[in-house]
Amino acid sequence: MSNMLLLVLLAGRRAALPAVQVNSVIELSEVTPVPCAPAHVAGLAALRSRPLTVIDCATALGIATGPADWRKQRAVVVEQEGHLYGLLVDGADDIVAAFDEAGPLGADPGSGWQAAALGRVETETGAVLLLDIGALISGAGTSLAA
Amino acid sequence: MDDLLAEFVAETREMLAALSGEIVAWEAEPTERARLDTIFRFVHTVKGNCGFFDFPRLEALSHAAEDALSDVRSGRRMPDRGLVDAVLAVIDRIGVMIEEIERGEPLSDSNHDILIAALKGELDEAEISLAISSGSRSPVSVAEQRTIRLPVELIDQVMSGVSEMVLARNDIARRLQVSGVETGIEAPFSRLSALITEVRDAITRTRMRRIEGLFATFPRLVRDLSAELGKQVFIELENGEVELDREMIELIRDPLVHLLRNAVDHGIESPADRLAAGKREAGMLTVSARQTGNTIHIGIMDDGRGIDSDALAAKAIEVGITTAEKVAEMSRTDKVQLIFEPGLSTARQVTSISGRGVGMDVVRSNIEKFGGSLEIESLPGEGTRFLICVPLTLSILPSLTVEAGGQTFAIPRSYVEEIVSTSGGQLEFAQIGERRYVTFRDRRLACVGLDTALGLVERDTDDSLFVILRLGWGDLYALAVDRIFDHQELVIKPLAPGIMQSGLFVGCTQLDDGTPVLVLDVTAIGHGAGIPRELQRPTTAASRAPLHSDREGLRVILFRTLSGERRAIAMSAVEQVERADAGAVRNPGAEAQIVMGEEILTLAGVPDGAELPDRFTVLRLSDGGEPMAYAAREVLDISRLSGELKRVHGKQGVVGVTLVDGEAAELVDCHALFASNSAQGGSGHALTCRLASTDGWMQNFLGPIIEAAGYRIVEQNEPADIAFVDSGCDTETGCEARMAIRLRNEPSGARDTDTIYRYDRTALMAALLRAGQELAA
Repeated sequence: MSNMLLLVLLAGRRAALPAVQVNSVIELSEVTPVPCAPAHVAGLAALRSRPLTVIDCATALGIATGPADWRKQRAVVVEQEGHLYGLLVDGADDIVAAFDEAGPLGADPGSGWQAAALGRVETETGAVLLLDIGALISGAGTSLAA
Repeated sequence: MDDLLAEFVAETREMLAALSGEIVAWEAEPTERARLDTIFRFVHTVKGNCGFFDFPRLEALSHAAEDALSDVRSGRRMPDRGLVDAVLAVIDRIGVMIEEIERGEPLSDSNHDILIAALKGELDEAEISLAISSGSRSPVSVAEQRTIRLPVELIDQVMSGVSEMVLARNDIARRLQVSGVETGIEAPFSRLSALITEVRDAITRTRMRRIEGLFATFPRLVRDLSAELGKQVFIELENGEVELDREMIELIRDPLVHLLRNAVDHGIESPADRLAAGKREAGMLTVSARQTGNTIHIGIMDDGRGIDSDALAAKAIEVGITTAEKVAEMSRTDKVQLIFEPGLSTARQVTSISGRGVGMDVVRSNIEKFGGSLEIESLPGEGTRFLICVPLTLSILPSLTVEAGGQTFAIPRSYVEEIVSTSGGQLEFAQIGERRYVTFRDRRLACVGLDTALGLVERDTDDSLFVILRLGWGDLYALAVDRIFDHQELVIKPLAPGIMQSGLFVGCTQLDDGTPVLVLDVTAIGHGAGIPRELQRPTTAASRAPLHSDREGLRVILFRTLSGERRAIAMSAVEQVERADAGAVRNPGAEAQIVMGEEILTLAGVPDGAELPDRFTVLRLSDGGEPMAYAAREVLDISRLSGELKRVHGKQGVVGVTLVDGEAAELVDCHALFASNSAQGGSGHALTCRLASTDGWMQNFLGPIIEAAGYRIVEQNEPADIAFVDSGCDTETGCEARMAIRLRNEPSGARDTDTIYRYDRTALMAALLRAGQELAA
């Protein structure tokens, strides 16, 4: 099962996250902004009694076209180093099996995507870009946008 | 079995279990250093622990093993078969004894002497095997005491589960309230609610431990240290039954031990020095723990030489922490604070005791790391006092919630000194460049707008609501906020590194409705606003200046005099405000006096010939010396002088008139008041008193208080204004006195108005005053 992928929609493109790292996909009801936080940190929400750091993935990749609106987006909940994160995506509907390990991209997917790309994966719905959750959380693409 | 003993048993048991593998290996290779050290440490620890409990036999045994092993370690002795066997036998025996202790049985009296002799190498091999077999018993298997050791994470998990339950409960409670419909579950819900509270309390207790356990290790430490240094030190422990988070106990152990070592090493002098300084040979070290609200105060006090502030300052200049000019401005307290600067140590030589490298700055920052603070006070020649303040638990933090820029934040309550608002118009501001300063208790505090500090949208209006924050070491600043909500006990959760990176927050918490709230790091916000540390220090030159440099900002008490004038008096001169009866006043007018408690004070503010109201207010004034009193009809307010002071001519006792809160008020001339007070206290005015010379009590007990009240005691053969007479002895000898005050020995003389009970000090003073009155008349 380790090669299951969660398909997400981000900035109009499809991408994939390793399903095994995903706890759940939720809709956020309340996000508290965090002053002086990095640009890709959209704020703080609570998942039951645990704080959930909300990551604006588009900004994290440096491909945002406008300010994130968490009310219209969904949050992919992942846990990293004991902290919970909610990755904001435009859609997350499907879980598909990867046919293979992530392979080389073959070509540059565009500057923003490059920052968090693990590789290209073939699935039954076609080839998708596999994203690196750690890179999204650390906002690997924010410097490009600046 | 008490906690300490249980811990000793558990610890020894654990060490024995860990040791079993080592023993086998050591037996095979007795010269191997690492194993030898392990076993040595074990017997050493057991020996040390025995010192706290009364197990002389166990101590003797482990001591003998320690000695033998110590010889082996230093190469004085070879670990032969006999020694190895004997040591192993000792370890077995310790195991047996620990079990006996655990069962609460008396220790078996098997012959240890022969085993000890074997350790000393005094026996041959045959005897050794006999010795070993003589004491050994097959260990009886017992039901172990029912304690378990748990990883802290597990308890934390339960705790956070419980906090989650609390949140869920609050949520349900709110929904129930909103719906307003009778659901029939109200009663079971309130029962559940109470149970959750109970569980929360219980789980909190599982994390708590008596601080006693930590303190119990100190006498030994101090004894060893002082022996090593050739000093005599007594240690006194006051644990105050304080309980502390188990984790916190581990965290404060090192800083405490460090401070203790410092106290013994540097604080307390050698016996010879102490004698020369007129102190007892043995130094006194007091360690105390107190709980005040949600903070634990741990004090370490020694009666040693105190900190040499000048040496400290000189060292600080030498290593470039400060400059000679700055030091010249510093008070002693400021200089003592230098001890917290990194890279400073006044120890003349680095000793093995206090070690090297670890300075007070590290101790302090370690304490601050877990939310505590460290304060120091030191008097030359009299000793040094450290105060560590520790929050009661790490996870539950009493907090103040505030709003800025439309967002809610939490401030740890322990930092909050006071909340002040300008709505009353009492705050005075100064603008220096872009920075505003607010005057709070005669200090100019930098104002930091929370919205600005956090980069939030700023409001147009001026700051009007301030939270005065006290940082680790008395540094104050004013944090401007938009609103202040509430004090709450909040459960603090860690934040993701991405959010922590700004350094402005220490964690996150949730309000009852589940909204996440950031907890501010007020220290970082203060420093982030670019206020250099020195300016926040309370005792720098800036804070000393205002009182005399200008009258602006002088804090005053506004009151109405008996004749109805509105007057103001410097707050610093007022010690106390009390109510008094007209009956306590003698001689109304310019030379009025009043009995207050056990004293007779000059009473100012009484107009000549005026009728005194039955009850009135008395301001007790003091200039540090002779106190006096000021009569008032009522106290109106506490305020601050801001307007110009107009001189008034020909009006006595008043410096001038000024506007206070839009109304005229006369400022009382404290200087003139006290000047006349001390003149009145002069010898010209003093009445003379004579005490019965035969009465030791009068001479020794009564004499001093009469003199203190301003009367002059005269010899037997001199004439006196007032004589004190024992009511039991009728023979009035000596020269005549104009008045006599009779004293009786019994507290309740049947409505006896002629005599006064000798310990009724108030009545004595009143009688003296009355006598003086009548004499004057």
